[in-house]
Amino acid sequence: MTAAPTRSPGASRQSGRRPEQAAARHRVGAYPWAMAGAIAVAVSGAALSLNGVLRGWGWYWPVLTTVVVVSLTLAALRSVRAQPLLVTAGGFISLGAILTLTFFRSSSLAGFIPTAGTLVELNRLIRRASETVLSETAPVAPNVGIVMVICAVLGLAVILVDALAVPLGIPAASGVGLLAILVVPAMIKPQSVGFWGFAFTVAGYLAVLACSQYFAPSARFQTDSARSPGQVKRAVLTGSVALAATLVVPMAIPGFDQGTFPQGSRLNPWGTSTGLNPMITLGNSLRTPDGSGRITYATNASTPLYLRSVTVDHFDGDSWGPDDRDASRLPLGGRIDPGYTVLADEQQRLVTAIDAGSFTSPYLPAPYAPESVRGLSGRWTWDPATLSIKGSDTTTSRRQEYLVTSTAPRLTAGLLAQSSAAVQGIPEDFTRIPGNVPDIVRSTADTVAGTGTPYAKAMAIQKYLRSAEFTYSLQSPVQGGYDGNGLSVLADFLEQKSGYCIHYASAMAVMARLEGIPSRIAVGYAPGRLTGATVSVAGQGALPEYEVDARDAHAWPELYFQGLGWVPFEPTPSRGVVPDYATESSTAAAPDALDNNDDLLPDATPAPTPAPSATALPAPGGGGSADPGVQLLPWLLVACSVLGLALLMAAPRLIRAGMRARRLRPQDPANAVPLGWRELLDLGTDFGLPPGSSETPRAYSARLRGALLGDPDGLDRAAHQAVAALTAGFERHSYGRPSGADPEAAADGGQPGPARGTGGAVAAQIAAVESSLQANAGLPRRLQAAWIPPSVMGRLGRLLAAPFLATGHFLRRTAKAAARSRPGHSRQGAGDGVRRHSGG
Amino acid sequence: MESHRRTANDVSAANRTLAGLADPVSHLNGHRPAAMDAEGFHAATQRILSSVNTVIDGKSDAARLALTVLLAQGHLLLEDVPGVGKTLLAKTLARTIDCTVNRIQFTPDLLPSDVTGVSIYNQSSRLFEFRPGAVFANIVIGDEINRASAKTQSALLECMEEHQVTVDGTSYRLDEPFMVVATQNPIEMEGTYPLPEAQRDRFMARISMGYPDKDAEIEMLETHQATSPLTRVSAVVTSAEVAAMITTVQQVYVSKAVKEYTVSLGRATRESPLLRLGASPRSLLQLLRAAKATAALDARDFVLPDDVVHVAEAVLAHRIILDRKAAGSGETPHSVLRGILSRLPVTSEGAGTGTRNAAPAGRTAAPVTGLSRNQ
Repeated sequence: MTAAPTRSPGASRQSGRRPEQAAARHRVGAYPWAMAGAIAVAVSGAALSLNGVLRGWGWYWPVLTTVVVVSLTLAALRSVRAQPLLVTAGGFISLGAILTLTFFRSSSLAGFIPTAGTLVELNRLIRRASETVLSETAPVAPNVGIVMVICAVLGLAVILVDALAVPLGIPAASGVGLLAILVVPAMIKPQSVGFWGFAFTVAGYLAVLACSQYFAPSARFQTDSARSPGQVKRAVLTGSVALAATLVVPMAIPGFDQGTFPQGSRLNPWGTSTGLNPMITLGNSLRTPDGSGRITYATNASTPLYLRSVTVDHFDGDSWGPDDRDASRLPLGGRIDPGYTVLADEQQRLVTAIDAGSFTSPYLPAPYAPESVRGLSGRWTWDPATLSIKGSDTTTSRRQEYLVTSTAPRLTAGLLAQSSAAVQGIPEDFTRIPGNVPDIVRSTADTVAGTGTPYAKAMAIQKYLRSAEFTYSLQSPVQGGYDGNGLSVLADFLEQKSGYCIHYASAMAVMARLEGIPSRIAVGYAPGRLTGATVSVAGQGALPEYEVDARDAHAWPELYFQGLGWVPFEPTPSRGVVPDYATESSTAAAPDALDNNDDLLPDATPAPTPAPSATALPAPGGGGSADPGVQLLPWLLVACSVLGLALLMAAPRLIRAGMRARRLRPQDPANAVPLGWRELLDLGTDFGLPPGSSETPRAYSARLRGALLGDPDGLDRAAHQAVAALTAGFERHSYGRPSGADPEAAADGGQPGPARGTGGAVAAQIAAVESSLQANAGLPRRLQAAWIPPSVMGRLGRLLAAPFLATGHFLRRTAKAAARSRPGHSRQGAGDGVRRHSGG
Repeated sequence: MESHRRTANDVSAANRTLAGLADPVSHLNGHRPAAMDAEGFHAATQRILSSVNTVIDGKSDAARLALTVLLAQGHLLLEDVPGVGKTLLAKTLARTIDCTVNRIQFTPDLLPSDVTGVSIYNQSSRLFEFRPGAVFANIVIGDEINRASAKTQSALLECMEEHQVTVDGTSYRLDEPFMVVATQNPIEMEGTYPLPEAQRDRFMARISMGYPDKDAEIEMLETHQATSPLTRVSAVVTSAEVAAMITTVQQVYVSKAVKEYTVSLGRATRESPLLRLGASPRSLLQLLRAAKATAALDARDFVLPDDVVHVAEAVLAHRIILDRKAAGSGETPHSVLRGILSRLPVTSEGAGTGTRNAAPAGRTAAPVTGLSRNQ
């Protein structure tokens, strides 16, 4: 460089920096607003995915106003160049103000200044929200407490994202705040985050990144190429391709919409059923794709056996749960007395040996009505009103093996029909009609039940619920937003006429009470499948063994008939077994058909076999007693997918090998040199040295030799020579005289002509280079080069991006064409105006 | 003794010596020397370079570039602070070649006719007789060219571009090879006439010598104490050989890809937002000629993009003018050129490696994308 400029470098730098700073100050105008917009889009987009965690959309407006107000406050403070700490503090203050304005207006000063009363109210709302979180299942009704908490959390998320992106200058990490929001729906909702929530969140996040790059506040973040259109275009393209891929790939590949974690199953580290509220977990248990919580039992019962663990009898409020009646519980010791006398002629005495296995619940599954339970460990109590058996303190059903003796009257339709006496001796809990029963429930009960004996009414309700109008579905309550329980859910269910056992059972129980029949909901397991094994029980001999798991979780109504006790019914279509007494005499229903086909997992559940398999296999895991033909299919699928996976993983390597083979054995020997050169470029790329587009062959080869090859005079001498030869050959091929056109070139100075680079020589050179590259590379690099060669992956990426590029190209061209035609129009318009003017 | 007299700082003496060479243009048409073969070329260049390097320590790059310019039939502008050997380089190069050399010390009162020559009325023959000026030589050293008036400077213009002198309506062809090596002092600009853009454009390359490194400087102090090293230098090639070498350079093959690359480079300088004035078409022509000479010096009969890159800074840096803002932010022509070169995609025929980023860009496109649109 010459010393030509007379100004000293220091002086010129200073004079140059000053206008730059001035420009930066001017730029402050747009930057905070763009950043605030990006953050608001990202956070409110993430909030979109909370629909389904909260029911409906009514909660969204307070959320949106909170997010917008907080981000606008941040932007406004930043645009007047407040201190970074002040900006964040201002964010907190504005969050407090907007929350006060929205939720505590009555107890605040001037509508938005919190007072002591506000704190009391805040405490109340937080408690309410915590109750909602603990007791209700998604989607929860958006009560004021939970909405307040969500607004506060999202407001904090805005401040967090903003703080990470702007003052701390780590915009990429600001995704943590957004992820924190998305985790909630991802764990709670069955359909996970959802399309729009994800798309808006990612778009907002990319916008945050773009803003922080484009308006980088200090030179530390500003690269000289950040503002060049090429860079912006590439960034936008990369972002949109990645976003589109994440949205399209799960649609195209089966399996992404079914799964344990993202598919709405609640993250539950304590097992599938914690016993906190069986009603919450019932739907989730049913949706569990794998049969966890397997229970096996052996019984001498001739009819299919329902295992009951707990009953629900309080139908008030938004969510139902079992009433433990801890005060009146009795320790489990001698005989369990149902507390009523059964007048039936014949009592059936059943012996059931149950192995609870990994099923974990404080409630003990047992057939109704238990008389005695033997073999339990721990402390257990039973409830005289419901006969539910519950472990006290930390006693659970896990790993319990016990023998239940139960009695059940042999009921017939005739017997039930005769029972029309007034109900006596039953606690009021089972007859109380809940307050504010929705109109639809009341009117349906009135029209369906008609008049007659309690049995006739019960049968009418059951027949109505089992009619073709109703469909069994695990998904539609979730999609319709009435998954769960409660009277409002019941109303939704009767309108939609689609749901699963808990809806049917509660509908029948509530309607029965409205018709004056005492009722409660029993929660437990529907009759399971024969495992084919037998269990020898003392005094009974060998009994057939059944198994149930989470997919058999069930709820059914129990109705009280004077003189007969609690009688179970089965209103859920396609689930469980309708008892003899509850079947219509006109319809020839097969009572013993184990018709447990829930349509959630059509291919994962083996078809239940009506008869025990002849080959008494020891039950493998949770596989059930499927015959070998059926069992082969899953294995075949597994084998296929393993093979496919292996093929997919080996694909880059195979493609790479194919490319090399094609290049090193070219059809036309004249192409040997350029193909060999391209192979060398790809080799370099694979070993982490991709050629730059502005790099000449000579420069690249020098870089390759310097960076990847070892000592030119030592072991790698052959490789160095090979690279040099390949480079020279390629240079001559690309830039030299076309061969054949000029005879001088061939005879030029004793140098061999271009014909020198025959395929064999090139292949040997490439082999020398590769062995040397491998000798000088570390193990990770070698593995990468072998299995995920960047040259192939880069090509794949370009191939995938090509349609987007083409679309972008087309759009830009049309936009340009439109822009070009518009000035013409305006000019014409102006001309018209002038003409008109002159005419007037 | 003879050579010493030729390089004397005496214009009139040179005029007398060279009077016979000043023939009207018409007499010299159609003559083109045959090309030299590769070995001969290589040997000749080695002789020249080693000879120059004995005089000027540690400046082999500058010497090589000077030779490149000579073989590419260009003119050289040496710009640096006083005392780093500008004139010595020019003199040494001239001395290694067995050809005529003139030196002109430019001063503010130097007249155009002192450079080109003048017609004198011969009393005896009663005719106007042309007395050739100092420019009639194979190598003309113009010392401190910016000290002369604009009129005198521009008198050199025609000579440099056309290789001819026109006086009183008659054109006189200058002898081949013809090369002007001008030196310029960038400091002490007071009372000088900086070369206008148009005239700077006529120089193929501008190089600055720079200070020698420590070892070279120590060696210089040892060897150059008693005598001028210039006296030991004798001619190693004849002017006929130089002409043949020039022909060899002219026959170097330039592929389409390299032409495209050169044009892309030119367009990139014109589209760069950092530059007020980009490279002219003439400068691209000279760039390619210099690249051909570089290739020939590298014992190749075809030009690589590397050759273009190698000479691009020397050839283009003194022709482009920075934008005011870019100059303010500390950019130099060299840094801008380096930036452009580092982003310019290299094309190679048939290989298609350069078509990767083929996306066209908007009007304010960066040089790289703007160029790929033109491919």
